[in-house]
Amino acid sequence: MKFIVSSGSLLKQLQLAGSVIQSNNALPILDNFLFQLAEGKLRITASDLENVLTTTLDVESDSEGEACVPARILLDTLKTFPEQPLTFVFQGEAGVEIASDYGKYSVNSFSASDFPRVAALEDASLTRMPAHVLFSAIQKTLFATGNDDLRPVMSGVFFQLSAEGSTFVATDAHKLVRYRRMDVQSDQTAEFILPKKPLNILKSVLPLAEDELELHYNNLNARFSFGGFSLTCRLIDGRYPNYEAVIPRENPNQLRIGRSEFLGSVRRVSLFSNKTTHQVRLRMAGSEMQVSAEDPDFANKAHERLHCDYAGTDLEIGFNSRFLTEMLSNLETETVRMEFSQANRAGLLTPEGSLEEGEEVLMLVMPVLINQG
Amino acid sequence: MNPSDRTIVHMDLDSFFVSVERLLDRRLEGRPILIGGTSGRGVVASCSYEARAFGVHSAMPMQLARQLCPEAVVIRGNSASYSAQSQKVTEIIREAAPLFEKSSIDEFYLDFSGMERFFGAYRYATELRQRIRRETGLPISFGLSINKTVSKVATGEAKPNNQMKVDRGFERGFLAPLPVQRLPMVGQQTYKSLSELGVRKIQTLQEMPVDLVERVLGKNGRSLWEKARGEDRSPVVPFHERKSISTERTFDRDTIDVHRLRGLLTAMTENLAYQLRRGNRLTACITVKLRYSDFDTRSLQERIPYTAADHELIPKALSLFERLYQRRLLVRLIGIRFSELVGGGHQMDLFTADQERLELYKAMDQMRNRYGDRAVIRASGLEARTIGRSNPFNGDPPPLLANRRQ
Repeated sequence: MKFIVSSGSLLKQLQLAGSVIQSNNALPILDNFLFQLAEGKLRITASDLENVLTTTLDVESDSEGEACVPARILLDTLKTFPEQPLTFVFQGEAGVEIASDYGKYSVNSFSASDFPRVAALEDASLTRMPAHVLFSAIQKTLFATGNDDLRPVMSGVFFQLSAEGSTFVATDAHKLVRYRRMDVQSDQTAEFILPKKPLNILKSVLPLAEDELELHYNNLNARFSFGGFSLTCRLIDGRYPNYEAVIPRENPNQLRIGRSEFLGSVRRVSLFSNKTTHQVRLRMAGSEMQVSAEDPDFANKAHERLHCDYAGTDLEIGFNSRFLTEMLSNLETETVRMEFSQANRAGLLTPEGSLEEGEEVLMLVMPVLINQG
Repeated sequence: MNPSDRTIVHMDLDSFFVSVERLLDRRLEGRPILIGGTSGRGVVASCSYEARAFGVHSAMPMQLARQLCPEAVVIRGNSASYSAQSQKVTEIIREAAPLFEKSSIDEFYLDFSGMERFFGAYRYATELRQRIRRETGLPISFGLSINKTVSKVATGEAKPNNQMKVDRGFERGFLAPLPVQRLPMVGQQTYKSLSELGVRKIQTLQEMPVDLVERVLGKNGRSLWEKARGEDRSPVVPFHERKSISTERTFDRDTIDVHRLRGLLTAMTENLAYQLRRGNRLTACITVKLRYSDFDTRSLQERIPYTAADHELIPKALSLFERLYQRRLLVRLIGIRFSELVGGGHQMDLFTADQERLELYKAMDQMRNRYGDRAVIRASGLEARTIGRSNPFNGDPPPLLANRRQ
């Protein structure tokens, strides 16, 4: 087996595949890329047993075959090369020899048969969706996922596909994002939870995708594929919490405010809040919102006034400023709306205007208890 | 600034608890007085100079003290009135001193560095001492020198109701003839180690090679050696952040009544959780401590997500207790501590319906703020009568309770 490839385009594909590889693998073979060569195409596969990523690139070759190549050393070497053709020659037991403009390098290689195979998805359903839709769904939701080992379902994004549209939900029990696309329908109704790692990989690769991607799924796995790329991942097992039930329906207190002014104010004021809890206080009255924070341990204190449209009773409510800044910076619109029922119920945050047709974003944030001052 | 250019004053209220009791009741003037726990296991928290003449000292078991001095008046003590008097003194000092540290309920360090140019620092301190005596009626002593250690020792030498100045450059000579126990760092253990070396006077310590002191006393050796030589660079720190809050109870009679232990633990946790909420704090670490009748003391701690909610803290405390209470033995002491405190309110959760409980805490806390912290408590904790009730988050050091050890 032998092929010639551009160092730059190989590195790009290897880096993509390398994002799957874990730093300490139980199975040593997983420290390798699987190279499969046929008809002038090189398929590169990497796996951590839960996620299997395959990518393809064109190479100059008239042979075929397959072998496993150590990932770390290959990546580190390729990073040092300026763009140039590289020749890979596989010599069976003797490993693989790489020839560059500068010289020759040999590394061990392993039999392809040791590499775990991608399990075929049995009874899989298929949905197609535009790549950019999935990209914005991930971008809008991923930040809101949790890290709590005791609540594993919240560490992923919940996909709900149906004939009416698609819904993507993420929450860490303190904040929640529901991203809806009415324009992306699916023949079957399906729900599953996708873990963070494959979502992060998709987030980096989807901008390269053109048009539609295919999503195959059953109740254990999901596979995203387009062009020569495919990512198969295990789903999170468990029941996603009933998030619809926690969205407050009656919200008599309504706020309309400039997003960047609000975000800037919260960012600034939160510098003066406690460094662990990051709590800020919002006070709405008339057409004014006051943002304040204090950290008595360091005698830090900040207070700002912002102009807003507010309809409702005077309200004072506390939030973790991290949540507010994450949510506000995840939106793009000029103006946002917030809705409240009481100081101890979730606040709703929605963008106003300039969304795509059929797109809907709703964010929820749980307050912190504050001493009425 | 050169460390020897500093001017540090240490002020200490003389037999503070006794002085406060005498303010409240003039008949106590001139009589031997013992303040502390009056039950079988109580210890002396403070005693008057008249009682000290009988060989009584603080931290001594109350029963022994009563045997030594049968005519003494024994008072249970009331930490609220001590705190109030201490607060008065603090206010006067706050007004007069540019920088001060309240290191305990009756002790202050004042930094008068750089004031020599305008007033004589000694004269200024003398006037301040007189003002405190005049305005509060409490006897107070002070020592003045270039650092905290020497000033504290000087106060000790000046007492009762007097003052002392250690002139710049004479620190070593001042300390040399004194016994080593006068140094603030020397407690029972250190004293024992030093005695075994034959060290009685500070002078001996001053002349020892520092390596030897370090070998005997470990890493604190160097700092003790420096202090013995009158060197102490520690600054006057105006505010001490509370790193933990805790409460514990020694039983008058050892108990094996698990039901009672659980009730007490519940009451203590409930009270501390209220203190947290009142101070707008959250805790991330909870520790339960248990001492068996044979003085075998054990503790167990666990990290938890930041919280100040009863329904998260009490079950955790009780489960730690279940895991800790393994020996079928009488229990002498039980205690609980919250550490890793941060400022902030409880973060609510979307999926646990705890709004009502949080409303309940809010309502209960309001009643406690108004009518005292036992205004409303869980029935299971009804039996626990006295547990701490000061505000732990006003920057003051914790008030010394009756079991204070010197």
